[in-house]
Amino acid sequence: MTFHTRSLILLLLATILVAGCGNNAPAEHPQEAASGNVQQQEQELIIAGQEIAASLDPVQPLTSSYLRLAGAAEALFQVNSDGQIEPSLAEGAEEIDANTWEIKLRPGVQFWSGASVDAAAVIASLERSKAQDLQAQPFLSDLTFTALDELTIQVKTAGEHLPVPLNLSYYQTVIHNAEASHDTVETMDMTGMYRVVEFVPKQRLVLEINENYWGDAPTISRVVYEEISDGQTRALSALSGRTHVALNIPVTSLPEFTGSDAVDIVAAPVANSQTIYLNLNQPQLQDVRVRQALSWAIDREELVLLAAEGQSVPISTWLSSNPDYAEARDAVYDRVNQERAGQLLDEAGWLAGDDGLRAKDGKVLSIRLMTWGGDKALGEALQNYWSQIGIQAQVQHGDYSLIETARESGDWDASIEAWNTFGDTYTLLAGQYSPEGSANYGSYEDEQTVALLEEMRTETDAEAKRELALQVNTRVAEQAPVIALFPRPHLTAVSSQLEGFKEHFRQFENVVKADLSLGTARAN
Amino acid sequence: MVYVLVRKLLAAVLTLFCATLILFVLTRLSPGDPVKVLLGRSAEVAMSDTAAYQQKADELRSQWGLDQSVTDQYLRWVTGLLKLDLGNSMHTGRPVSTEIAERLPATALLAVAALLLQLVLGLVFGALSAISAGKWSDHVIRWICVALASIPVFVIGLVFLLWFAVRLGVYEISSEASLSRLWLPAVTLGLIGAPQIIRVVRANMLAELGQLYVQSALARGLALRLIIRQVMRSTLLPVLTMASLSLAALISGAVVVESIFAWPGIGKYALDSILLKDYPVIQGYAFVMVTAVILINLLTEAVYSILDPRIRRKGVATSESTA
Amino acid sequence: MNRLRNGRYPLSLTAGLVILGLIALLVAGAPLLAPHDPLEQKAAERLEKPSASHLLGTDRFGRDVLSRTLHGGSMTLGASVLALASALAIGLLAGLVAGMFHRTWVDVVLMRIIDTLMAFPFMVLAIVIAALFGTGFIHLLIAIVSVWWVAFARLTRSVVLQLKSETSIAAAQVLGAGTTVILMRELLPRAMSPVLILATFELGSLILTLSALSFLGLGAQPPSPEWGSMLADGRDHFLQAPHILLGPTLFIVMTVLAFNLIGEGLRDRLDPYERAKL
Repeated sequence: MTFHTRSLILLLLATILVAGCGNNAPAEHPQEAASGNVQQQEQELIIAGQEIAASLDPVQPLTSSYLRLAGAAEALFQVNSDGQIEPSLAEGAEEIDANTWEIKLRPGVQFWSGASVDAAAVIASLERSKAQDLQAQPFLSDLTFTALDELTIQVKTAGEHLPVPLNLSYYQTVIHNAEASHDTVETMDMTGMYRVVEFVPKQRLVLEINENYWGDAPTISRVVYEEISDGQTRALSALSGRTHVALNIPVTSLPEFTGSDAVDIVAAPVANSQTIYLNLNQPQLQDVRVRQALSWAIDREELVLLAAEGQSVPISTWLSSNPDYAEARDAVYDRVNQERAGQLLDEAGWLAGDDGLRAKDGKVLSIRLMTWGGDKALGEALQNYWSQIGIQAQVQHGDYSLIETARESGDWDASIEAWNTFGDTYTLLAGQYSPEGSANYGSYEDEQTVALLEEMRTETDAEAKRELALQVNTRVAEQAPVIALFPRPHLTAVSSQLEGFKEHFRQFENVVKADLSLGTARAN
Repeated sequence: MVYVLVRKLLAAVLTLFCATLILFVLTRLSPGDPVKVLLGRSAEVAMSDTAAYQQKADELRSQWGLDQSVTDQYLRWVTGLLKLDLGNSMHTGRPVSTEIAERLPATALLAVAALLLQLVLGLVFGALSAISAGKWSDHVIRWICVALASIPVFVIGLVFLLWFAVRLGVYEISSEASLSRLWLPAVTLGLIGAPQIIRVVRANMLAELGQLYVQSALARGLALRLIIRQVMRSTLLPVLTMASLSLAALISGAVVVESIFAWPGIGKYALDSILLKDYPVIQGYAFVMVTAVILINLLTEAVYSILDPRIRRKGVATSESTA
Repeated sequence: MNRLRNGRYPLSLTAGLVILGLIALLVAGAPLLAPHDPLEQKAAERLEKPSASHLLGTDRFGRDVLSRTLHGGSMTLGASVLALASALAIGLLAGLVAGMFHRTWVDVVLMRIIDTLMAFPFMVLAIVIAALFGTGFIHLLIAIVSVWWVAFARLTRSVVLQLKSETSIAAAQVLGAGTTVILMRELLPRAMSPVLILATFELGSLILTLSALSFLGLGAQPPSPEWGSMLADGRDHFLQAPHILLGPTLFIVMTVLAFNLIGEGLRDRLDPYERAKL
């Protein structure tokens, strides 16, 4: 009897399964057939990224970086993979005097709508960005634009010898039709080789060739940018062969790609320093010796392995993640030296007690490091190094809003940030280390640093300016308001089908290019 | 009858009011400034012009009405709601109702598929386990249930993706919701949800099989099929309660599964909005979810009273006896 | 069925208690039993597969997974049992009161609160609690308890409503027994059993919830080991080094199994003639 029922139930189960499959099958076929047809006619490039633009308007935060990455938007200039500035929408630029530049535009360039990209349109676009996009401020606020003729723009700068072409290469300065409203696919109007044909926020962006493009026409006719937020899933999507370019592959997924012929990992060095910021208002961190000890105690070589799976290099100064300043990588804390760290703490009066913890006037030397997102492991490794020299180190891992809140109330000791280090060195260093800098979280105020920065601001000779940047960089590392660790690793998984993909330290610069092509499709 | 309906409606409105009010207060109490999240996230270069930043931040704050008192903000939200307007997302600038409407079908599709699978697995294996109580097949099923209830979801999800998408190449990883992409997340959710239902079915069937009437029916030699049918019928009620709870949880979004399978549902969207402090979206999401849960509860009660006429006499009591 | 109900102590109850006792012994004896220091990082030995010196392998810092699992048990078990007990206590009380004062404003208010919490996005509450009170394990517990009690309250209330119509309660009321007396003497003991059983089943999902929330910073903070956060941290390396998850998963499976067996045993013992609710 039992047997009878059991087989009945199994039969039921089998029927349901079969019915389920039967339902799925017809739904699948038309789609496959459709995509098969499409592939015969035209090629489609599929990119998977962690996030997608929140809107289509290039003045909204980050939107222009996605549009630039996908080949929809262009700025007047671009930066090649060697860090050299090249003309893009502009034909060239010339420095007339210390406060004046002249930019020549390409003749005959049109927006997608057919409107002409002339001096007036470019200025209107830049003025719109300046007025509406806060993140464009550092690049545009010191520049005044005037049209000299239809294709020539004069740029007056507030300071002397500002790097105008560099400023106009950032994605925040992409040229768009200022008269368009940019709120739907139909109303947006830009210049890129691809035009957006479909946009679903937090899901996908589809682009097709812009037939009126001024430059070389791309060979791939369609680009699909998809948001696949989970890092491991992105890695698997690359391995499955469907995605041609998967951005921001987690370092921990790297071993999955070893031995795969179908996917290559591109690990371009990025100019971006993973850095500990210290709060100098805290009594124990006011002593420079304590800050130096914190830096000496870190085994950066090992840290790169523990927190970045070996996909980076140790750096001891902030600016040295920029390839131009690579010589400064071990300018100050050249190797781990816990003995020296111990001496510094002894000198500062923090003496080890019976329990191994250092204390002064009955107070234990403690530090609380706040981490968020993917930096938990980094925090845990740092905690270990600091514990080894007798510091009571805590790691508090949580949402970023906790760090923001703590900064506002002043109740924090240390936190981790990674800022970009490529660009105009004065702007970069002033943003970090001048008392007004928005990234100077810990209220670092040092006369010598301020003086050096002021010298930099007025220095006109490039070589002398570089020398000054190195001096600021070293001074800051010695004063240790921040502790530089390693350039943030940046892995991209690229299908071997895709030809023409180049490494680039600025990711938004080099994903979609005209010379990309897809080889023969593998059987999937 | 009308009285009951009116009472239920009033209770539903009251619940909605409580939930949205509490949420409103909580999101505003929690630190983290939506304006800062929007302006400050991944700037390319640190700024030295703090005045411009302040000005822009103030501008946005007044644009979204964040400079008003919490009471005014809530009243404004309720007024909008009466005009069927949930406001616009701070992050994308689009109407919240549009965004939720875009994401809800994917979630509903996944939820229904997963629930069906949970029910089928639950009924089949629960019954199997009860009938063979104490035998090896019962033990195997129970062990699997315990294991499934103790393994993190991401383990099942990632292993499935590795096998079906990478090794076998029969599953497509993209960001779209389509029928051909439905089965893997549905199976994953079905597997994690099934043990609950298996457990309920098994326990209730065992209890029912132990009842006098079944014992005597067996003794009188009644066909097992008939007895099973009878036993199953009385097991359906608690299963229905479990199913409604499970559906409520699935509708509000399975964050981990959605994110691993890149399924464009509402769970991941809600979590993102929570982390981005996108107040109107959190608010709209909560409103829709509370409504959904209330509707599911009402629906369950209705089905209950159809299945079990005794309810009408006993009132709500039994309908909740297994919640 | 009858086979399971032999004697005063059902087989499953004994088995469950034995397994739980074993786990408790292993966890309590961690300082003696663990082969390595659970906090010591050794970069040279990171991500090692299980071997003689590391029975369950090592994690990304080269820490011994077995030692961390044993040491982490006390925190996970202590916390989850504590959370469960608190939720149970609150739920029982609220359910009893709501059931006792059925159709009065007390019941209405309680039910509205319960409905609201059931429909509430848990993640929002968790984030708000983390932001308001700070991160850490205690706050995770507050977050969990404040939502988890609802299930117990609903169940208790419905049991009370069913019992109220029964003769013994009616008799007590007729005899003039006070509300408190009826609550404590008659209702509480009988509502206990289904609620306790539900509680033993909930433990597994509770432990897994700990791991789901650790990315918000709600949960054990580094470097202390805890099963939930070990699972969350092990995710990064899951596809290459699945063994990192093996220790905590095995222990969670065993714990959940033990509690399930105890739950079943309790049902058979406390509730032998009642129709099983779960």
